[in-house]
Amino acid sequence: MKPGLLLYSVFLWLFLQPLATLARGSGAFMQAITIKGTVKGSDGAPIPGVTIQVKGTSTGTVTQPDGTYSINVPDANATLQFSYIGYTQQEIALAGRTTVDVVMTSSASELEQVVVVGYGTRRKRDVTGAVGSVRGEEIAKQPVNTATQGVQGKLAGVQIISSGQPGSQPQVRVRGTGSMLAGAEPLYVVDGILTNDIRNINTADIVSMDVLKDASSAAIYGVRGANGVIIITTKRGQAGKMEVSYNMTAGWRQAANLVEMANTQQYTAFLADAGPQVTIPDFGADTDWYGDVLRKGFQQTHNISLSGGSEKFLYYFNVGYLTDQGIVRNNQYDRFTIRSNNEWNIVEDKLKFVTQLSYMHNETDFVQLDDIYTNTYRAAPVIPIKRDGRYGNTSAFQNVGNPILTLDKTNDEIYENRLQGTTYLEYSPWKWLRLRSSIGVNQGFQNRRKYNDKYLNDEVTFLVAGGNQQRPESQLTIVKEQGTEWLWENTATYQQRFDKHDLTVLAGYTAQKYAGDYIEGSRRNVPNSTDLWYLIAGDPNTSTNTSDGDKYARTSILARVNYSYDDKYLLSASFRNDASSRFPSDNRNGYFPAVGLGWVISQEDFMQNQKLFNFLKLRGSWGRIGNDNIASNLYILTANSGLLYFFNGTATLGTNLSDIKDRNLKWETTQEYDFGLEFSMMDSRLTGEVNYYNKETIDALVTVRIPGLLGDPDNEYTTNAGSFVNKGWEFTLGWKDKISDDFNYTIGGNLTLNDNKVTGLNQGQPLFRGGVGQQGNITKTDNGQPIGSFFVLDAEGVFQNQAEIDNYLNKDGGKIQPNAAPGDLRYRDANGDGLINSDDRVYAGSYQPKLYYGINLGANYKSFDFSVDFYGNAGNKIYNGKKAFRYEITDNIEASYADKRWTSARPSTTDPRVLLGSTPASDYFIESGNFFRMNNITLGYSLPKAVLERIKFERLRIYLTSQNLFTIKKFTGFSPELVSGATKRDGFLSLQNSTSPLDAGIELYPYPTTKTFAIGLNVTF
Amino acid sequence: MKKLIYIPLLLTAILLYTGCGDGFLDIPPQGRVTEEEIRTNPNAAVDLTNGVYNVMWLGGFGPDVHGLQFITLTSIVSDDADKGSTPQDYSPALEIDNFTYGPTNAIVGNLWTGYYQAIARANQALDKLPLSPIDEADKNRLIGEVRFLRGYFYFNLVRTYGGVPKIDRVPTPEEANSDAFQTRATAADIYALIIEDLQFAVDNLPLKGATPVGRITKGAAQMLLGKVYMYQKNWQKTFELSQAVITSGLYDTLSNYADIWRTRGANSIESIFEVQTGTNAACNAAIELYANSQGIRARRGWSDFGFGFNNPTADLVAAYEPGDKRREATIITIQPNGTVLWDGFRVPSRDSVENDRYNYKAYHSRTQEPYCNSPDRTPKNLRVLRYGELLLQYAEAANELGNTGEALAKLNIVRKRAGLPNAVSGGQADLRLKIWRERRVELAMEHDRFWDLVRTGRAGVVMRAHGKNFVDNKNELFPIPQDQRLLSNNRLTQNPGYN
Repeated sequence: MKPGLLLYSVFLWLFLQPLATLARGSGAFMQAITIKGTVKGSDGAPIPGVTIQVKGTSTGTVTQPDGTYSINVPDANATLQFSYIGYTQQEIALAGRTTVDVVMTSSASELEQVVVVGYGTRRKRDVTGAVGSVRGEEIAKQPVNTATQGVQGKLAGVQIISSGQPGSQPQVRVRGTGSMLAGAEPLYVVDGILTNDIRNINTADIVSMDVLKDASSAAIYGVRGANGVIIITTKRGQAGKMEVSYNMTAGWRQAANLVEMANTQQYTAFLADAGPQVTIPDFGADTDWYGDVLRKGFQQTHNISLSGGSEKFLYYFNVGYLTDQGIVRNNQYDRFTIRSNNEWNIVEDKLKFVTQLSYMHNETDFVQLDDIYTNTYRAAPVIPIKRDGRYGNTSAFQNVGNPILTLDKTNDEIYENRLQGTTYLEYSPWKWLRLRSSIGVNQGFQNRRKYNDKYLNDEVTFLVAGGNQQRPESQLTIVKEQGTEWLWENTATYQQRFDKHDLTVLAGYTAQKYAGDYIEGSRRNVPNSTDLWYLIAGDPNTSTNTSDGDKYARTSILARVNYSYDDKYLLSASFRNDASSRFPSDNRNGYFPAVGLGWVISQEDFMQNQKLFNFLKLRGSWGRIGNDNIASNLYILTANSGLLYFFNGTATLGTNLSDIKDRNLKWETTQEYDFGLEFSMMDSRLTGEVNYYNKETIDALVTVRIPGLLGDPDNEYTTNAGSFVNKGWEFTLGWKDKISDDFNYTIGGNLTLNDNKVTGLNQGQPLFRGGVGQQGNITKTDNGQPIGSFFVLDAEGVFQNQAEIDNYLNKDGGKIQPNAAPGDLRYRDANGDGLINSDDRVYAGSYQPKLYYGINLGANYKSFDFSVDFYGNAGNKIYNGKKAFRYEITDNIEASYADKRWTSARPSTTDPRVLLGSTPASDYFIESGNFFRMNNITLGYSLPKAVLERIKFERLRIYLTSQNLFTIKKFTGFSPELVSGATKRDGFLSLQNSTSPLDAGIELYPYPTTKTFAIGLNVTF
Repeated sequence: MKKLIYIPLLLTAILLYTGCGDGFLDIPPQGRVTEEEIRTNPNAAVDLTNGVYNVMWLGGFGPDVHGLQFITLTSIVSDDADKGSTPQDYSPALEIDNFTYGPTNAIVGNLWTGYYQAIARANQALDKLPLSPIDEADKNRLIGEVRFLRGYFYFNLVRTYGGVPKIDRVPTPEEANSDAFQTRATAADIYALIIEDLQFAVDNLPLKGATPVGRITKGAAQMLLGKVYMYQKNWQKTFELSQAVITSGLYDTLSNYADIWRTRGANSIESIFEVQTGTNAACNAAIELYANSQGIRARRGWSDFGFGFNNPTADLVAAYEPGDKRREATIITIQPNGTVLWDGFRVPSRDSVENDRYNYKAYHSRTQEPYCNSPDRTPKNLRVLRYGELLLQYAEAANELGNTGEALAKLNIVRKRAGLPNAVSGGQADLRLKIWRERRVELAMEHDRFWDLVRTGRAGVVMRAHGKNFVDNKNELFPIPQDQRLLSNNRLTQNPGYN
């Protein structure tokens, strides 16, 4: 039996186990001194699920839903530790008491909270690297589809850009852009599963998201850690009676911002000037194309969860459903999720068995945006959309497809199933040693059925015949895709405290393998009926099919030591050895070491008499991490087969070997220094953190142009020849205060400054990317500049009259722009050669922000809760590509341009008379990317306790929330938040946004950011 | 439940045994044949040879062998054709038409990379063919086919750029950047390589009929080698090689000149070397942007046949003698009230299209000829070498060798088919001019004119008379692409006049 299949069988069996166990009761346990008590929050409400541990032992329990607990301790002078994520950990010496009531204080400071650091947890105060953490409830309260989106603005050093497209994954940059050609997205670790795609994770299931930002923290993930690591921990049951809760939101989404296009009158006036030869057809139309393509989209989520258990068995089960219509006509996304997390304590304190399993099914009515958006933007207002069942023929007039017709004649459905989970057995032969063996499986299946109906460019389809928009034969394409990845991890953790020495040692071995493939087939002339959308219904002579696959494997050895002395001096060191099949055997092994030091100054004797600081820690770390996020086998020369030619009229296949490959390819390596200061002041009301980081990426993958005479088809090859630096500062401040029992509030903010710079392109060749129509490539990545910098002509203004053109002379007295006419843009002769050409291009900023920030405010008053979050960035630029990419003179223009463009009667100093496809790329099209956005605003009301008791509810809260209520920005396009390129629809287990950081910040056909209004309900029985 | 502990132990054992041992990380590429496998597979050599033929379909807006950019540098540049389309469309081609191009012109760059891609495919095949286990005769035939194609590619390169780097094998990664590969060989060196390749092909290829249609024949190699010698003014060799093709008796003129470029004339008795195309399910089995780029371009009101480039000039129209049947077969003239094409399609009117004239030899009927709704890859065979040209190159060589009778005889075969009276000789120089003029009209729009003008030393005079800004000792050759020169660290020298 193949190991992968075996693992999968075991995995499935485990999925079914919890039901059997649920039926059994829990056993009795041994007698000793029993301590009882209640744990409450500072608001007086009981807190369930608080972990209580006898210090120095592994004996522990958790509080019941009513906050009570009971624990057996070996002696009357033991110390109990109370901990709960989001609250300050407390240690209480029993000193003979048998009842201990505790009031937990919320740790807005986050300093005392426990953070997940990869293959283990640490108290935040003991961590020597830069780790950020967001609690699940912060994410779940936002009406967003992916957990990643919910983290936006919450953490310094983590930039999140989210598109409004349903079912898409946001783009994340941890501490700047970490790669040029390899993936720049962080690694996600969901309950130990390493993945690139967390669109299957229901935000309601999340306890916390912890972000390992610096190299010393991420180095435990070795060759996958270079872009940071986001660890997601899902919920588990708590001992006690079954708790049932229901959470829902319902609302609608709409485009947060639209671009107003010219109306018929503005359009006609423009063409009279710019294209007098064009005869404009008169249909008496004044069409708002966006008005019909976009809509308000309905959105709802429902979650029902059950959790509870005993000391022997804990369970958490959740069913979730989400519908998101999206804002583009015909688009829809429905997702169904199930999660079942269970924990068996087979032998008290010795043997534990845990399963964390999830299943996701989604159905997408997919809309290929490129075409639709481009055509909606270009379509002339003088053409009607549709009249009496016949479409306006945009293509007959202006060579643009009618986007509504395209939408109506396309049916593209995608079904995805995803099974993901981990299961592990943990054995603790002695209390200082934990052995864990875990198996994870991540499996996906995707079906896609795309049907393009036929229509002709005749008067049956259109109001007038002609044009290029037609599809003489219908076409059906079916794609089936599957991928399975298994991950097997074995770790041993040694933890011991002697006197003032606290030592934790981790060692482990992991192996992982992925195999996936897809098959695609198509036929033409398939009838238009859902029941006939199978290939067999089409013309067999038009059959096409293909299939392809991918496999890779990795093995790793990892080790980490954490040592602290007297909670004062902290040391952590880690090491990972990774071997990856994606590289040639000589370069296959990588070694990723890291070390961190911390000094808790507030623990020093000399700090004991001051009142200012409750906590003060200084830390520094260094680490090395890698990025192997590139296509498999990039180093092996492979043949292109299936090259056709005809002999005797018969198709014959050929092959060729022509790619030039780097046979010594290796991964990118990032080294980072990190220094941080963490503090808590004024009775812990004020907390903060300052970080400085400097990370250098070397051996970065770049494409190098090679001489054409070597015959490589694209004249490029990929090699490790680049290096670049991200360095910056992160500031986090939080304030919380309680004015009275009825009123408390929090104020938090974070700010990140990042400076990205290319330091070395070994072969001296800058990378030109970011193609915009006839303007060609508009970004240049070169030494001393940020990755993907805009590189265009410098437009200085508009020629007002012929005299200005005649007087714009070079040093030889020749006209610099001899072909210009009044109203044209005037460009700076940057290199002084007396001509305007591509040699005059200059750097004009990049899409990477110089700084970004988040502000989070919250308040509770009696039964009301209120929160508002803001997010913004500054110092970046956007290239308004859709405005620059003009195909034809008849393309529509933006209303603002129509009103501002130069005419002889209305001179303008900013906007030229006409924009043509041949208008060169210049900073005229570059706009500020700064924005400030209200990310979320929520007002909630919880029924008071008295009422709840009467109606037998644990909790009932109703709230109103809005995502992206307003944005303050200068950019005139749809959205300053551009996920460059659409989320790729294939290879979803190794999903990447098809963004290249080299193309970032060009607005061509974005899915507009949306604003959402929703009402929500939380009920717990 | 304690037994659960055995599961990981069991798995450990199984995985260590079957999975994670040696070779766990040695995963070959999925779905791709590697170079190693090609070396050991007996069919690989044949497949690699077929892959060289396939490169002749390279076109589009990137590297180009026979697409729009090839058309631009061979036809639009000449006095036979104008750029066409709309005035603004595709400005690099306008630069070529107007002789304002420089070393950064994209077309000049793309032809270079396209032909070197073709040559690299040929070299890869030649690298592996000797290793193949097939028998010697077959092996030599395949090597002959590939060497013919490599010779043809270099012939087009040397006529476009002059001396170019001589890449006659697969460079190792180490030597790819060496001076030997990164500097230009002389034109004479390149011609020597071409002649060597074509001679091998002549010596090893079977005659037409003894090899599948579409594969290179001995006759094709003889004709091309004869043409190469014509560029060297080695008239004796041209005469002998062309005569061998004639005496083989395997070729003749097709009676209806217009049929040569229609599907019914594909691989006809006239055909000597023709790029094959066809229809397949994916509908992409043809030269990208050959026919479509030259198709009739509509202004509005009807669904057109293409981009409208490469329009025959009025000058070409005037070059035909009265009664020459070839004019109507070569040029689509758009009449004010519409023009009916041979397949019955009616172009509505002059004001419904962009241009006055289009290339009939590139017209592909969508109703009467195979067509699968993929306009960019219309299955139009490209007639590279045909008997009509062979007769003229034979006649020219005969005239240069003083054999006026033979020269006139073959020239008049060509004229007779065109419906023209026999030519008479007014001496060697007069006959030479008559043969040249016949070449122009017989081979109009067949990518020969510009090179022929340069070959015969008339380019400057003719082009300037046509109003083009042709500079002698400069514009005979196109510049070496600027970016390629930079990539070679300026080891590639520039052609005269372009610095």
